[in-house]
Amino acid sequence: MLNKDFLITLFLWIIFTLIGEIGLFSVQDHIFPIQGSEEAIFIDDAFFLLTVLSVPIFTLVCVMLGYSFMNFRASKNKIASQSADKQSVKQILYWKWGWLIVSTVLCLSVLVHPGFTGINELFAHEDKTPDLTVSVTGQQWAWSYQYIDTDNLDDSVTIRGSKETVVLPNNSLIRFHITAPENDVLHSFWIPAFRTKIDVIPGMYTALNINTNRIGNYDEDVNYRVQCAELCGMGHSMMSNKVSVVSKEEFEKWLSQKKK
Amino acid sequence: MASLTNGLFPILKGLLFAFIGFLVGSIIAIAITSVTNFPLTEPLITLGYLFALIGWLMGVGMWKVWGKEWFGLNSVPHDNSGGWKRYFRFCTDHKVVGIQYLVILLVVFFLAGALSMLMRLELTDGKQNLFNLTDYNTLMSLHGIMMIAVVVAIFMGGFANYVVPLMIGARDVAFPRVNALSFWVVPPVAVLLLLTPLFGGFDTGWTAYPPLASKNATGGLLFVLAFLTFGVSSILGGLNFLATIIKLRAPGMTWGRVPIFVWGVLGASVIALIATQWVAFALLMIILERTAGMRFFSPVDGVGGNALLFEHVFWFYSHPAVYIMALPGFGFILESISTFSKKPVFAYSWVVKAIFGIVFLGFIVWAHHMFTSGMQLWLHAPFMFLTELISIPTGIIFLAGLTTMWKGKISLKTPFLFSTAVLFNFTIGGLTGIYLADVATDLYLQDTYFVVAHFHYTMVGGVVFAFFGAFYYWFPKITGKMYNEGLGKLHALLLLITFNLTFMTMFWPGLQGMNRRVAVYPDTFSDINGWVTIFAILLGLSFLPFILNIIISLWKGTKAPNNPWGGKTLEWETTSPPSIENFDVIPTVQSSPYIYDDESVKHAIFNKNKA
Repeated sequence: MLNKDFLITLFLWIIFTLIGEIGLFSVQDHIFPIQGSEEAIFIDDAFFLLTVLSVPIFTLVCVMLGYSFMNFRASKNKIASQSADKQSVKQILYWKWGWLIVSTVLCLSVLVHPGFTGINELFAHEDKTPDLTVSVTGQQWAWSYQYIDTDNLDDSVTIRGSKETVVLPNNSLIRFHITAPENDVLHSFWIPAFRTKIDVIPGMYTALNINTNRIGNYDEDVNYRVQCAELCGMGHSMMSNKVSVVSKEEFEKWLSQKKK
Repeated sequence: MASLTNGLFPILKGLLFAFIGFLVGSIIAIAITSVTNFPLTEPLITLGYLFALIGWLMGVGMWKVWGKEWFGLNSVPHDNSGGWKRYFRFCTDHKVVGIQYLVILLVVFFLAGALSMLMRLELTDGKQNLFNLTDYNTLMSLHGIMMIAVVVAIFMGGFANYVVPLMIGARDVAFPRVNALSFWVVPPVAVLLLLTPLFGGFDTGWTAYPPLASKNATGGLLFVLAFLTFGVSSILGGLNFLATIIKLRAPGMTWGRVPIFVWGVLGASVIALIATQWVAFALLMIILERTAGMRFFSPVDGVGGNALLFEHVFWFYSHPAVYIMALPGFGFILESISTFSKKPVFAYSWVVKAIFGIVFLGFIVWAHHMFTSGMQLWLHAPFMFLTELISIPTGIIFLAGLTTMWKGKISLKTPFLFSTAVLFNFTIGGLTGIYLADVATDLYLQDTYFVVAHFHYTMVGGVVFAFFGAFYYWFPKITGKMYNEGLGKLHALLLLITFNLTFMTMFWPGLQGMNRRVAVYPDTFSDINGWVTIFAILLGLSFLPFILNIIISLWKGTKAPNNPWGGKTLEWETTSPPSIENFDVIPTVQSSPYIYDDESVKHAIFNKNKA
């Protein structure tokens, strides 16, 4: 098993994996769009971790392919070939079981993290009382938003149409209650800066919980936008609103202005 | 001239019968709607199409060789001779059916490719340029469903049909007439899809999610009818290969001696037979929503069902469907890597188990397409778990690919280049799949260009590359001519480079927050999309050597020997191209088809005395 080909491949694999990982870590801060929520930070970390784990698998395939192409060509390999079919049964067994065990362990470990931990983290806020509840209705092809005033429902503020900016408070748990009219079609409610999204189903309610963590707006980064992410017909790409996250004080000011 | 009309007569007859059938269906539709007072257009199209389809099939020759028997008349015995004319009638020879599939699907492939070029031109920058929003949606949806049809059937309809009976030493498939039927419903599918723009197009994408699919323009109905018809073809094909592979193997071909490509086709057939019926039901329900006002998927006025129901049923087919596309491709790449490395398929029995592991797991992972759909939260964890398990059997197939060529005697022929390119591309496709199986990252990446890049890496990088590999691999066997090796290698190299440039780049806008299926998008994504468009056009141009190669090779290619690659499977034991009955004598199989180190061991012997 410890022959020349094996050792060279192993060496190349380690070298290319190191190069890949170093390259990856050096661009770590430049590959993700703006992180407007706690959820965004978690999801980006998960993405990065999966990429770190993918690098050695990718380099292994590349190195084995490259090495085979260079060294096992029929024209170069006349002498070694006779032994090719006679790999010992033991050696094949090592490879098979080794590969199976390693891939299973890898698979199960990403299942635990970021898999199950991700589900726990991202759906942990279902039972908490939010700082702000916004009722969202998706229709072909515009959104409307109702800022629920829990003390007096009649005082709730409603904004409508693609010209409006959705203003949200910073450092708050915001719950979007989302639906579509019964005779409408599927949509999906998504603010890329916050990462997570949820579909809008006619006649049903879905919810999305977001913890905002920074002040920002559409002019700073286009990912501060509401975007329909489920094909809903002609106006699908236009079904969008600008989003602006402001400090809690500014948000209260904006809301009270709207109430007048 | 007389010979030409004579040869095309079954087609003309089919068209005439289709027209008569359409009239019959229309009359029935008018009669029904006059009682129900339901709008006439869509019932008329549905019933008209149904009877036109029957008329078409009978006209092209099904009546003569099959239909008469249903009424106690004597059918004409199969006649599979007759040069080019065989390809234009209801012909039961599996080799004819295979070529019919290959030709029509290549045409559809290039049409759908041309549509993608138009899409990329529109997407060069964020503004609306060439098409209005509805036309773009139609364009995108047509590209999607046409390419899906190609990758579903190019192996199962094309190469599996041509090669599997040869590989297992049979004279034909188990049900030759069912086989011909499964092909002759395909041309109406293409016609229906190409007619959709005249009926307002359809804007649902290939996924056809209701309620949109139940209420869009009439083009949407044509699309659903086409999809349903194609499903019928797929079910019949799967049934046929199951029976063929189980019952018609040559004497001595035990399960342990079956070529790995045949195993891939067998796995895919199980899925095609079982899973396709589900999507057929779902599509039928949409047709009933549209034509009879039933409410299965939309809760209007408090009666009716739920849109999530469709997503569940749809993905119960459409996730396993990617393995209908991929498994024969995996089978082929292992087959060709073994042939060109002159080494047996590594860990053969594990690969077989892995194929059926994928078949089994494929059925129970569908809801990973629905993490953002609003389904019950407790479904997330189990579906993520099951989905990520698929990486294990897929890994075994990769291990087999890499280790089969390890220390082999590799000859870098075009099919080998394509097969190894599949290993490279599918590694990227598979690894990026993990991001979409993981709930956390999927909540972000779902419905972005990351998904688009990912599935093109699996479908194009995996299946289409494997298809072109198979095309060059079996081209000498099918046509009896050698292709041009230089042009073939050029095609492989150009396709690999331009494909990777295009779709590697496409991951970036997805990660940066650009959603898919849009004609208009924020201007910040314009630069990167401009590059994708340039790369995509180069990708389109990379097919020129392929087209040139076919023309040159068919015109003046050198005559192909029976076994140009030194392969051991049975299709190389017969002439190129094979005779109508495939083999003079049915072979008797003696050993595995992958024994390269001992010249004295023969995979099969042809014992003339027995015959």
